Amino acid sequence: MTQQPIDVASKKETEHVNVMKKANYSVLLQIKKNYSAYLFLLPKLLLFTLFVAIPVVWAFVLSFQEYKVFGSEFAGFDNYIKVFESEAFRIALKNTLLFTVVTVPFGVISALVISSMIFGLGKLSQSLFRSAFYLPSVTSMVIIAMVWRWMYNYEFGLFNYVLGWFGIDQINWLGQSSSALWALIIMQCLIPFGVGIIMYLASMGSISHSLYEAAKIDGASSFKQWLHITIPLLKPTTLYLVLLSTIGSFQVFTQIIMMTGGGPGSATETLVHLIYKTGFRDFEFGLAAAQSVVLFVIILIFSIIQFRVLRHDE
Amino acid sequence: MKRMWKKSMLSLASLGLAASVLAACNGDEVGSADEFKGKITIWDGPRWPDKDDNKFHWLEAKIKEYEEAHEGVEIELVQVPWAEMGDKLGVAIAGKSWPDIAPVDISGSAVSIDHIEQGVIEPLDDFFDKDAKADFYENALDAYTYDGKMYGIPNSITLHSMLLNLDLFEEAGVTPPEGGEWTYDEFLDAAKKLTFDRDGDGKIDVHGFSTYIMPGYYEAWPFFYKNGGSPLNEDMTEFTFDTPEVVQAIQDLADLKLTEKVAPETHGGIDVGGTFQAWANEEQRTVAMQPWATWAIGAAQGKYPTNFAVANYPTGDSDKAVTIGGVGGWVMFHQDKDANKKAAAADFMKFISTDKEQYHMAQNYGIFPARISAAEMDPFKDNPEMTRAMEMSEQVVMLPRHPEWRKIDEAIQTQLQLVFNGEKTAKDAMADAKKAVDELLK
Repeated sequence: MTQQPIDVASKKETEHVNVMKKANYSVLLQIKKNYSAYLFLLPKLLLFTLFVAIPVVWAFVLSFQEYKVFGSEFAGFDNYIKVFESEAFRIALKNTLLFTVVTVPFGVISALVISSMIFGLGKLSQSLFRSAFYLPSVTSMVIIAMVWRWMYNYEFGLFNYVLGWFGIDQINWLGQSSSALWALIIMQCLIPFGVGIIMYLASMGSISHSLYEAAKIDGASSFKQWLHITIPLLKPTTLYLVLLSTIGSFQVFTQIIMMTGGGPGSATETLVHLIYKTGFRDFEFGLAAAQSVVLFVIILIFSIIQFRVLRHDE
Repeated sequence: MKRMWKKSMLSLASLGLAASVLAACNGDEVGSADEFKGKITIWDGPRWPDKDDNKFHWLEAKIKEYEEAHEGVEIELVQVPWAEMGDKLGVAIAGKSWPDIAPVDISGSAVSIDHIEQGVIEPLDDFFDKDAKADFYENALDAYTYDGKMYGIPNSITLHSMLLNLDLFEEAGVTPPEGGEWTYDEFLDAAKKLTFDRDGDGKIDVHGFSTYIMPGYYEAWPFFYKNGGSPLNEDMTEFTFDTPEVVQAIQDLADLKLTEKVAPETHGGIDVGGTFQAWANEEQRTVAMQPWATWAIGAAQGKYPTNFAVANYPTGDSDKAVTIGGVGGWVMFHQDKDANKKAAAADFMKFISTDKEQYHMAQNYGIFPARISAAEMDPFKDNPEMTRAMEMSEQVVMLPRHPEWRKIDEAIQTQLQLVFNGEKTAKDAMADAKKAVDELLK
């Protein structure tokens, strides 16, 4: 009798080892069994390693170096200390956060509302609106930024022209510290979040009709059905879109370089624009790599928080 | 002409401070260009077009000529838009995949003093003896000299000048400054008269003056020198743009918009293209006076035909007209081992930098030659505007060649933007710039 617990423990251990062995064996077996699939994945995997994984690791290595064209030197945490002591980095972080905090919820909510409105339409009009809202996503941000720069132009711009109808003074949209960042935020909010709309429409299509029918029988209004059935069931899509647009928003760059150059003063300086300047204008690649790593960590933290919050009642 | 580019106000000899310049990188062996067989890569930006609108025809023809005379040598031309040249070179330097030869204004932003110190740029002294150097204007050569070594072949000289739209002067009944020389008060008086409501609708249609403020651009800067003063002291240890005379000059230029109302709201903004269009585009012509680098003279004589005159920057308390200049040229990037290749690349650089070529380029591309003999051929004898601009070369000051200049420049220019916005006074802005710049000068 006294031997039993030991037997049980050793038996469990043996089972565990067996499971592990089996698992290892089965992974190898799986690869062997599906080798053609892995063969097809291999080119992409190699490209990913070459163009994504290695540069990411290299950026991390570079962030601990003082970059020199010939013979970089190990710099320890010097670059990171510089990042955290830098006033420019703090300003860029503040601007990027404000940009993200306003544009991401606006983008996702507007995509949800627009796609809900489109979803109820007939097939033809649905396709029409879907294309109309998605097409701008195909346009290069460079083109969009050029058009918007014209719309914000002080003398000939559309906005000031319209304000003129109401007798309101022209606004130097991109030229004043007080308005420049908000001008970029407004622009971002008004560009339809095409990918979001398409994804919401696809997800809505997969919600079972029976749920709505049951709700109808219970006397729920359309709005209540939307609030209590559509929105909760779209949560995985919402999570994905929030993550996607947060990452994109933290990396805002093209608009900045095309429209304001980070100015006036530092009013529209953002993290990626600062990293770009540090790397390619100042040639301080070590510091730029450290800034990138810090940005990576910030995005990671935000993603984890969003994941936890939005996943909560799954 | 020989007086052109007399020693400039800032002694570039002071740049020889750093003692850490790497020695000529490939040992002492000087190769032979004749023995080289292989490929040399050269980058260049678009220049003037031929009848097929090919803006690379000049270099393509030179390459063909050189290849025919040197069997076994292949020269590959990579066409790079000027706007991308700086970034592309930056990436190439970072990846050590640079071309053999590229056009670089060494006082600009594509290559820094830091790169020379790190050995990215090859010294060319082995290929240019004293006699060969004697044909270049001293200042042009100085721009490519660091710690006593020559790091490029000066090819062209540019400077900034004031361009006046004579049609608008006539419309407003203003006489342009005689000989292009004027004081700031005369300039301000003209700017006031040139600001007018053309159609009587109560809105100003034409403003007297406009320019922009952006890191890396210096059209406005000669105004800041008008009372004397410069961004850094002579040994580049101290920020000196906060002296009362400079602060006053900055405030004066901003006040053209803020209090005098002779400049449009966009004055001091960052819209370079829009600013030029407002002066040059026939549909607009809403600004009478703007300062531009010499390329704009060519544009106003070609693509945007304008009735204009070239004038000095107005003088202030110092009674001395000042402008800012730059020197363009060819540099050779670090060569690994082949001494013969280095010699061949230098030989080709010489081949495209002869007095004949510089004369040709001056006539067609609107730049001033860096060679004395090319200038003596008088490329602008039929072009009074370019001749007038060339006379201004005696007023040129060069920007300080500090290794951290791009950061210093940004610290100053971003503060200047706030002054022109009316968000800060020039005094406060330059006090803030001083804090940032002093950190960089430590």
